Amino acid sequence: MNTPPDPLDSLLDRWSSTPDPSSRLSANVWQHIAVSERATASPKGWWPALESWFGRPAFAIGFVAGCALAGLFMAELRVSHLQRERNAQLARSYLLLIDPLLNAPPSDHRS
Amino acid sequence: MKRVLFTLVLGLIAGLGSHLAYYRYHEPASTDTLEGQLAWMKTELKLSDSQFARIKDLHHASHPRLQAMAAQVAQMQTEFGEFERTRRTTDRVDFLEFARFVEIRRNLNRECLDSTRQLVLASAEVMTPDQRLRYIRLVATAEPLVGSLLN
Repeated sequence: MNTPPDPLDSLLDRWSSTPDPSSRLSANVWQHIAVSERATASPKGWWPALESWFGRPAFAIGFVAGCALAGLFMAELRVSHLQRERNAQLARSYLLLIDPLLNAPPSDHRS
Repeated sequence: MKRVLFTLVLGLIAGLGSHLAYYRYHEPASTDTLEGQLAWMKTELKLSDSQFARIKDLHHASHPRLQAMAAQVAQMQTEFGEFERTRRTTDRVDFLEFARFVEIRRNLNRECLDSTRQLVLASAEVMTPDQRLRYIRLVATAEPLVGSLLN
């Protein structure tokens, strides 16, 4: 009893000889995984992103420390500016103190 | 949300707090007295204690005289203002009186320059060459002194 040849046989025969996978298969798979992870990990919009950053204790501590340092830096700039002004003012006062003619108008000095 | 706001507020407080604390601690004190100006000179020119004591003595010794001269200069300016007002309102000038005024003013100016120059030179003598250079640069900004110090 011969069974008639099944048309699938030839197809199954062809499938048994699978081609070699691409040499970049592994790299492509990892790239897909990375892209899908990034898409799920990074929230949409700036507020969720902010929340995500501030949710990390290291970032929050760094932010507060950065604010304190920025405050110190601004204070130092302010102090040095004030110091320069004060030095100039003291120099002027000293000159007024030792030179009575400085109180007179310029034309008066050498008459 | 609460966490973000809390961290932001904490950062603001830390920044403002450190700013104010540092500023208060380092804020330069304002002083217009002779003592304050001499103390500033000591810091600015890096004077030693003995130099500072000598310079302080020199300044204290000449201070009353210089103050009296400054008062005289101010008085002469007022007198000159009076002359000018009289000339404008009455169109009359007392030339003899004006010549006397000019002579007095000339003498006073000379005395002022001499006194100041003596004080500056005496102070400069106490200093090291580097300090002297910085001191002369400082006083040379006073216009009437420039010529007299360079002569």
